[in-house]
Amino acid sequence: MSPPELRTRGRWPPPEGPRVAIVGSRRPSPYGEAVAEQLALELARRGVVIVSGLALGIDAAAHRGALNAGGVTVAVMGTGVDVIYPSAHTVLAEAILKAGGALVSQFPDGTAPRRHHFPARNYTMAALSDLVVVVEAAEGSGALITAEAALDLHKEVMAVPGSVFSPLSVGTHGLLRDGAGLVQNARDILAVLNLGGEVLDDPLAAPGTLGFKLRPERDGILSHLSDVLAVNASELARKLQLPIAEVLGRLTSLELDGAVTRHQGGYVKALRRGKERA
Amino acid sequence: MLAGLGVRPIRVEAYIGRGEVAFIVVGLATTTVKEARERVRSAIKNSGLDFPHSRLTVNLAPAELRKEGSGLDLPIAIAIALASAHRLPPLRSAFVGELALDGSVRHVDGVLVAARGLRELGYERVFVPAEDAEEASLIEGLEVVPCATLLGVVNHLLGVEPIPPASRAAAGDTPSAMEQDLAEVHGQEEAKRALEVAAAGGHHVLLTGPPGAGKTMLARCLPGILPPLEFDEALEVAQVRSLLGELPRGRPLDWTRPFRAPHHGVSTAGLIGGGSGLALPGEISRATHGVLFLDELAEFQTPVLQALRQPLESGRVTITRSGGSVAYPARFSLVAATNPCPCGWGGDNVRVCRCTPAAIDTYQRRLSGPLVDRIDIQVAVRRVPLEVLAAEPCGEPSSVVRERVVLARRRQMERQGVLNAQLKPTRLRQLAPLPPESRRTLERWSARRGMTARGFHRAWRVARTAADLDGSDTIAEHHVLEALGFRLQDVAA
Repeated sequence: MSPPELRTRGRWPPPEGPRVAIVGSRRPSPYGEAVAEQLALELARRGVVIVSGLALGIDAAAHRGALNAGGVTVAVMGTGVDVIYPSAHTVLAEAILKAGGALVSQFPDGTAPRRHHFPARNYTMAALSDLVVVVEAAEGSGALITAEAALDLHKEVMAVPGSVFSPLSVGTHGLLRDGAGLVQNARDILAVLNLGGEVLDDPLAAPGTLGFKLRPERDGILSHLSDVLAVNASELARKLQLPIAEVLGRLTSLELDGAVTRHQGGYVKALRRGKERA
Repeated sequence: MLAGLGVRPIRVEAYIGRGEVAFIVVGLATTTVKEARERVRSAIKNSGLDFPHSRLTVNLAPAELRKEGSGLDLPIAIAIALASAHRLPPLRSAFVGELALDGSVRHVDGVLVAARGLRELGYERVFVPAEDAEEASLIEGLEVVPCATLLGVVNHLLGVEPIPPASRAAAGDTPSAMEQDLAEVHGQEEAKRALEVAAAGGHHVLLTGPPGAGKTMLARCLPGILPPLEFDEALEVAQVRSLLGELPRGRPLDWTRPFRAPHHGVSTAGLIGGGSGLALPGEISRATHGVLFLDELAEFQTPVLQALRQPLESGRVTITRSGGSVAYPARFSLVAATNPCPCGWGGDNVRVCRCTPAAIDTYQRRLSGPLVDRIDIQVAVRRVPLEVLAAEPCGEPSSVVRERVVLARRRQMERQGVLNAQLKPTRLRQLAPLPPESRRTLERWSARRGMTARGFHRAWRVARTAADLDGSDTIAEHHVLEALGFRLQDVAA
């Protein structure tokens, strides 16, 4: 198979250095999103070029993490390089270009999103990277296609474990069982890339620490929250034996401080320190 | 004649003149009224009364108003009978009723509305079909004469055999059975609290959650935690039912708050009112002073939801049709429910959502916009864990929650004369000032979540309601925090 001709926008080829693809679900859990962003941030700080697919979810988190580190990131697209899909990522795409990254595609300009284009794009993504990290992937996820392609191309595949209760970790756990490298923090990846060294400010290395001071009365609530599964206010009120109105108020207060985030299904402990989510 | 809940009295004149035998009705009568001629003629003859054998002209005034409905049968027949007998009709009296061919007087819709309107116009006596006498007698200060047959009415008017006026209907004193009691809902504390706050402040609610989480059950609990209807409210509810012919016999006044749950396939006319000629009230008017439950909100047609905006703001709906425009009451508490995404499992901890991001985007965009913007309280409902479901019912019964709601509503009425949800921003600033710390918290949230000015005021009102439930004169910071906990829409995606 002859390599398809690549259409590019921005700086191509990217600066010398290892390239790591970070891929995963378009509908990740808050945990997966935080992990992807954190890994990308740490790797980009060490000069790694972050490759991903400009999709929603894990892809976007990976690009964002690299940009936050002032790093270079490459978006491998399933559309023409002039067609931003999803259109909500127009700003993200511009930020990637502005930061010295690139948008690349094997499809001609003007190609609209087509379902069957994305598996081919996933293959290209693996081809352009030295290593593929899968953060969260349910069974049958497109990220698993990227992992398979990486194996075909004799590239390294690594995966981030998750909760055994989470359907979004079924795919990644499958990869781990089949021999993919275990990712617990950015250092695990850097070791495989032979770029060992101390990673600063790595919350993944020291789970469970929060970088802000708590008011004592809110501590009780936080200890009942998980950073993986959403817990709703009703369950908390039951466990803490507190009136629901009080629990709702405290949760909102924690949310304002960035200690918890609210999702469709309930509240989740925020992984990142201090800093508020955008 | 009725126009919405308004009444247009029609003067019926009969003239028996010389000339060719004829029966002419003038005065912009539509088909149903023209057909009255045949009913009136045979009813008069079958009652054993004389039908004039000459040129008979019936005039319906005012002439420019289109006349509709069979309720004019009785007045036309009475006018003819009195003209034949050379008698004048009694003063300040009105007649309404349809005639059967044998001369008996039949039910017409809207008698309660007619009676109320006529009383307001200064009428003292109303002749109504016997089976509708009960509803008419709800109106104070109006003599109601129940009419069983045309002959009976004529004999009454000629002084042959007076009909005793109907006694005032005794309004039932207890509300009928509750839709659903909160005590039967296991878990779901967050949603129950949301309903309590909604009931206390007159706020609208949006419940978001997967199928089977109990959204419908929760919505059905709302009428039971609202205070029973006041007399005027019950009368308005009864009037809408009367217009539709849906007033239950033997129980014209009901103190229970209405609960209406139209299917998502409902048309605009079905929801807000419509029909040919003069529009009839729709679901939102049937739900007035009660609860309108819209399940599967995203499945409703966009124009249908758009049409809800005006009534949501004003508590009334004005519908214009060929026959003229009518206004109906539509002050309801809206409870809307929706799945988080098309498949319904988004955000669930166990089942995976199988929707494409584009589908979710489209789905949620249908929900956003002007309608959801007007809903003060949004709450996520989750499936209750089995261990909680299995436990004994331990929740508070609706009657206990209702007591708190009643007290909170009383505080509001004493302070401002309306519920918090209806407070205009200027009066909100005046009557529900935010202490500095509470204001700072609200502003902090507003700045981080890009809340609109409208959203800011909505959260403020909900905070005021939380304070009212607390019996507190000032809005404390924790009241604001609770209110913000009900703003699901501000959560960054």
